[in-house]
Amino acid sequence: MRTSTTTRRSRRTAAVAVSTLALLGLTACSSGGEEAAAPTGGADSGSLTWWGWTPDAVNAEKLIAAFNEEYPDIEVTFVSKPIDSYDSVLGPAITSSDGPDVFNVAPGSANGGVDTFGAAALDLTPAVEDALGEDWKDQLAPAGVDPLTVDGKLVGMSAGAVYSGGLWINQDIFDQYGLQAPTTMEEWTQVCATLEQNGEGCFVQGAGQHAFDMDTFEAIAENVEPGLYVDATEGEVPWTDERFVQAMEIWKSLFDEGIMQEGAIGLQQYPDANNAFMSGDYAMIMMGTWYTQYAVRDSMIAAMEAAGVASPEPITITPAVFPDLAGTGNTGSLFGDADYGLAVSAQTDQPEAATTFALWLGASEAGQQAVANTLNNIPALQGITPQWDQIDLVDPSRQLEPLQEYTERAGEATQPRFATVSADLNSAFEDALIGVASDDMTIDEALAALQAVQDEE
Amino acid sequence: MSTTAAARPTPGRSAPSSGRPDDRAVARRRGPRQASGLPWILPAVVLVVGLIYFSIGYTGYVSTLDWNGFILSPSEPIGGENYREMVADPVFWKALWHTAYFFVITFAVQTVLGFVFAALMHSRIRFGTLFKVVVFVPTVLAPAIMAPVFRQIFDANGQLNRLLDAVGLDAVSQPWLADSTTAMGVVMVVTVWQWTGLTFILFYAAMSQIDPEVLEAARIDGAGNLRALRSIVWPMVRGTTAALALLGLIGALKTFDVPYLVTKGGPNHGTEFLGTYIYQVMVAEKHFGYAAAISVALLVLAIVGGVLMSVRNRRAERV
Repeated sequence: MRTSTTTRRSRRTAAVAVSTLALLGLTACSSGGEEAAAPTGGADSGSLTWWGWTPDAVNAEKLIAAFNEEYPDIEVTFVSKPIDSYDSVLGPAITSSDGPDVFNVAPGSANGGVDTFGAAALDLTPAVEDALGEDWKDQLAPAGVDPLTVDGKLVGMSAGAVYSGGLWINQDIFDQYGLQAPTTMEEWTQVCATLEQNGEGCFVQGAGQHAFDMDTFEAIAENVEPGLYVDATEGEVPWTDERFVQAMEIWKSLFDEGIMQEGAIGLQQYPDANNAFMSGDYAMIMMGTWYTQYAVRDSMIAAMEAAGVASPEPITITPAVFPDLAGTGNTGSLFGDADYGLAVSAQTDQPEAATTFALWLGASEAGQQAVANTLNNIPALQGITPQWDQIDLVDPSRQLEPLQEYTERAGEATQPRFATVSADLNSAFEDALIGVASDDMTIDEALAALQAVQDEE
Repeated sequence: MSTTAAARPTPGRSAPSSGRPDDRAVARRRGPRQASGLPWILPAVVLVVGLIYFSIGYTGYVSTLDWNGFILSPSEPIGGENYREMVADPVFWKALWHTAYFFVITFAVQTVLGFVFAALMHSRIRFGTLFKVVVFVPTVLAPAIMAPVFRQIFDANGQLNRLLDAVGLDAVSQPWLADSTTAMGVVMVVTVWQWTGLTFILFYAAMSQIDPEVLEAARIDGAGNLRALRSIVWPMVRGTTAALALLGLIGALKTFDVPYLVTKGGPNHGTEFLGTYIYQVMVAEKHFGYAAAISVALLVLAIVGGVLMSVRNRRAERV
C-alpha cells in the first residue's frame, strides 16, 4: 500500500515537473518572440546596471556623477568587465532578466560587436530622433552612427570614438636627454640608441596581442599610401599588392632594427607593455586617443598604481606623429571607430530610464562634454571639445598644445580602424604579422594568407 | 572464493537473474523498493544527464552548425563541414602535436621527480615534513595567481635572464616567451612545477603500502638502494604510475590555463593546445560550430586515449 502510494506520488511529481518545464519553455519562447516597443527615454528615476570594458573606473565615476547632476534619481552602477572575456560573459547576461540594463557595444570585429549582440538590444532610433530631431545623423560623428546600426536599427548610442595611428611619449625621459620625437626610421634608431646608452628602454609594444600590431601595420600602410589599408579590407586592393610588401618589410624592420624591444612578440600590449610604459621603463609606446586620459593627473596616478608603481609621481605623456618610415611624407594619419556605444537591453525592466542614460551620454551636450573632459574619447556629438581649462593635466605647459592639436586631428579623421575588418581577417592578421616578425612566415606567404581570407568573404 | 563473492547480491543493485523461480521472486520483491529509491537519486540523475550528457549531446549538435554562439543569432546547419575544416586546419594538427609531446615530456619528468622525491621522503631525512609541504604547495596554487609571476621571471628583462647574466651565462639568456620552442619549454616547466607535488604524494602513498618485509628480504638478498627501487619499489607502484599516466593524458588534452595565462597560445600558435584553440575560435573568432567540432574531437581523443591506456594497463597487470 505504501509502495503504490509512493509510486503514484512519484508519477504525480514527475507530471508536475514536466508540466512546469513545459510552461517555462512556453514562457521563454513567448517572451523571446516578442519585440518590445522602442523606448524614448522619458524617465527620471530608476536604478541601472551598466556593463562595459571601458571606460576606466575613474572616468566611469566622473560620467555617472555628471549624469546624476541632471538626473539625481537614476542610480547607475558601472560594472567593468575584462575586454578579453567581454563577449563570453555578455551573451548569457543580456538574454537574462538579471543582466545589465545598459551594455557597451562596438562596431566591426571588435568585442561587443553590434552584428552579434544587436539582436538583444532595443532600437534607439525613435529616442534619438526625439532628442535631436530628424537630422540627428548630421549632428553625430559618422563613426558612431552607421557602424552601430544593424538592419536599420540603431543598436548603440556612441559615447565617442577612439583613434590610433600615433605614438605616445614619456616627455620626462625625452626632456631629460634632450630628445625630440623621431620623424624617420633613422631618427628613431638614433633616439633608441641614445636612450639605451643611458639605460632607458626606448619603444615598447606587446606584439603578442595582434590587435595593436594591426594598428602599427595600418599606420605603416597609411604612411605608404593613405587609404590603402581600408581599400584592401573592403576587397578593392589585393593584400599581395607591392605596396603591402613594402609595408610588411617596414613592419619587419621594426624588429630587425631594434625599434621593438627584445622579446616583443612574447608580450601582450595589455597589461605587459602598458605596465612597462606606465612604470617609466620605456619612453615610447604605440597607443591611441584613449591614452589621452592619462595626461590627466588622477587618471595617470591610478594607471601607474595599477601598473604596480608605489607612491607614483605622475608621468608627463604627450602624443607624437607616427614617423615617416616609408619616406613618402604621408604622415599624421589617424584611424578609428566608435569606442563604444550604449545599448539598452531588450530584457531590461527599465527601458525608459536606461534610454535616458544612453541618450544623455551620447546625444546631450552635458553628457558629451563630460565624455570630452575625460579625454578618453573624441565626442560623438559634433562641436563638443574638451574644456581644457577645467582639466587637471599633469603638466599643462608641456602637454596642452600637443594634446589640443592631437584631439583636433583625431576629430577630423575618417579612416576606420576595425570597422571594415572581419573576425576571420582579424585572426589572419595575427598569424601574418607575428609570423613575419618571428620569421615563421615569409612576407609573401603572410600576404597571400591575408588575401586567401579576403577572397572567401 | 571469487565465485561466491561474485554471486553475492550487491546492496542497491539487482543481481542478474538466472531464470530460477527464487530469483524471480527476489526480483519481484526488490522491484517496488528500487522504485521507491528513484526520488532519492533523481537530483543526481537530473544533474548528470541534464548537465553533462545533455551538454555533450548539445555540443555535438552545435558542431553541425555555422553559428556565432549568441543565442539570439541565427544558425545554419552545415552537416560535417566543420569537421572537414578541422581536418584541413594546420593549427588543429599543431595543437594536437603539441599535446602529444607535452604529455610525453611532462609525464616523464613529473614521474621521475615524483618517484625520487617520494623515495627520499621514505628515507630518514631531516625536515621531511617541511620538504613535503614545499613540494606539494604548487599543486594547490591557482595558475591565475602564478601566471604573472612566471611571465615576469621569463621576460626578456626578467629574473631568469638577470640571474644568467650575473653568473656569466649571458649567451644563454634570451626572451624565453618570444620564441615558439622556448615558450613551450616555459609552459612545460610551469606544468611540471605545478603538478609534481601531486605525483609525489601519490607515489609516497603507494610506497607506504609496500610490505616492509619484501624490502627487507631484498636487502637480505643483497639488493642496494638503487636495485631495491628499480626491482622492488618501481614494479610495485605500477598501478599508481598507470593512474598518473591516464590522468596526465586527460590533463594534457584539457590543457588550457597555463598556456593561456602565460603565453596566450603564442607566439604564432607555438604553445597552442586544443583548449586554447577552442577558446580562440569560439570567443575571438565567434565560430561556435567549429569550436564545438574541435571539442567533440577532444572528447573522442580523451575517451579513446583513456580506454587504450586502461586496456594496456590491464594487460600489463595480467603479465
